[in-house]
Amino acid sequence: MIYYAPTTLKEFNKYCQAHDNISILAGGTDILPRWQSDSSIKPKVLVDIKKMNELNSIQYSDKEIIIGALTTIQELKIDPIIQQEFSALSQSAREFAGVQIRHRATIGGNICNASPAGDLIPSLYVYNAVIEIAGSKGKKRISIQKFITGVGQTALKKDEIVINIILPKSNEKSIFYKLGLRQSMAISVINFAIAYELDGNGRWKSLKIAAGSVAPTVASLTTFANALCDGNNVDESIQLVDNDISPIDDIRASSNYRRSVLKNVLKFTIKEIYVG
Amino acid sequence: MINQPYPISCKVNGQTITADVSPEMRLLDFLRYELDLTGAKEVCGEGECGACTVVLNGKTVNSCLILAVEVNGSKITTIEGLSDVGNLNQMQEAFVDHHSVQCGYCIPGMVLSGEQIIKDHEKPSRDTIKEDLSGNICRCTGYQKIVDAIESVSETS
Ligand SMILES: Cc1cc2nc3c(=O)[nH]c(=O)nc-3n(C[C@H](O)[C@H](O)[C@H](O)COP(=O)(O)OP(=O)(O)OC[C@H]3O[C@@H](n4cnc5c(N)ncnc54)[C@H](O)[C@@H]3O)c2cc1C
Ligand code: FES
Ligand code: FES
Repeated sequence: MIYYAPTTLKEFNKYCQAHDNISILAGGTDILPRWQSDSSIKPKVLVDIKKMNELNSIQYSDKEIIIGALTTIQELKIDPIIQQEFSALSQSAREFAGVQIRHRATIGGNICNASPAGDLIPSLYVYNAVIEIAGSKGKKRISIQKFITGVGQTALKKDEIVINIILPKSNEKSIFYKLGLRQSMAISVINFAIAYELDGNGRWKSLKIAAGSVAPTVASLTTFANALCDGNNVDESIQLVDNDISPIDDIRASSNYRRSVLKNVLKFTIKEIYVG
Repeated sequence: MINQPYPISCKVNGQTITADVSPEMRLLDFLRYELDLTGAKEVCGEGECGACTVVLNGKTVNSCLILAVEVNGSKITTIEGLSDVGNLNQMQEAFVDHHSVQCGYCIPGMVLSGEQIIKDHEKPSRDTIKEDLSGNICRCTGYQKIVDAIESVSETS
């Protein structure tokens, strides 16, 4: 294995051009446990991006918040503006692993790992987050929904790197819910994020729901959310959730359990928001 | 596969260390086998238990999930760095006074996480202490006395 630690994008591009197959290392909390179980998957060239300062800041403007890919889960958790304006994301960081992992794990790593159970991803879906990518051909932006393409699969090309996660500001409130097999240090059995705005008459001005661990990628529950926005009641509409999910059985839970628990908790949560 | 050695320089418990390390070597192994600092332990090797906890640039981390090459230019404190020539620090004393230790395997990590809690919260509640200890598993004590020890330090500092 050859190890590089570039400090700039320019240097990063240089290493990408010099080698066919590089592997990016951020916090390493997904990559290193994998080596432990199968050492044959260690890459030939490892590019540690943690010294690239341009990926390491949170910038605030009136329109949006720009979160550098290297921002750690702990940094997200304690950021006062994210706590106030993006509470679902803040909540997902609070419920993420333990302190030591939160000190290392990054937001960029969480989305690039593209796990269906990735805890930051549902919030990013309901915020319509935009992912900024840099490569040898320059920079581009795509939506989080287009960025994640399957289990562990993203739209990133070989020589590309995620540099920022951009959250447009809005008047919506948001919440995050996670069910694990125990309270902390657990992978989500299901999780979901909701972003919403109610008008003065108790009607949904907007409602977006995204759920994790119930499909190969995080699922947007648009059928259900649209039914509520059209004025239908929660108890009658909740079955529509089934249209947007396709959970599987695994060691953590069965597919049927995931379906029922998602619908039950979602129902309670929506009613709670509605009653205020 | 070729493992091109990589030169690193870092501060470990205040001492400057320079070495050529294999890029595959974990920080945990570097500390234990190259520097003879065996306070950090390996149990799970995958970030779940916290027995390998060390402090990297002021933050607790799992040294089993970090490569030695990654700490080039960094400051590391291990449990060995807390006491001053055999004199235990306040947190270590509190663990002794509260009988917080049974087999001891988890304790270096517990003490360092305790230090982090005192740093992060002014007057942490027992719930906060428990929450922030969730990355450290103890097989023996049932945690109460560990929480007692950390709580006692937070009350006096
Ligand atoms: C004990 C433990 C508990 C955990 N708990 C949780 C949890 O509660 N919730 C949760 O969602 N996850 C959890 N995880 C998984 C993991 O911590 C997260 O997915 C984390 O966000 C990964 O970030 P990282 O920086 O460590 O990624 P890395 O391991 O460094 O990288 C992950 C993947 O992303 C790629 N990558 C990283 N950054 C970039 C970038 N900027 N551009 C392009 N590619 C990139 C890497 O090449 C690699 O393929 C846990 C892991 C452990 C070991
Ligand atoms: S040995 Fe590192 S966390 Fe268990
Ligand atoms: S004292 Fe034995 S594991 Fe904690």
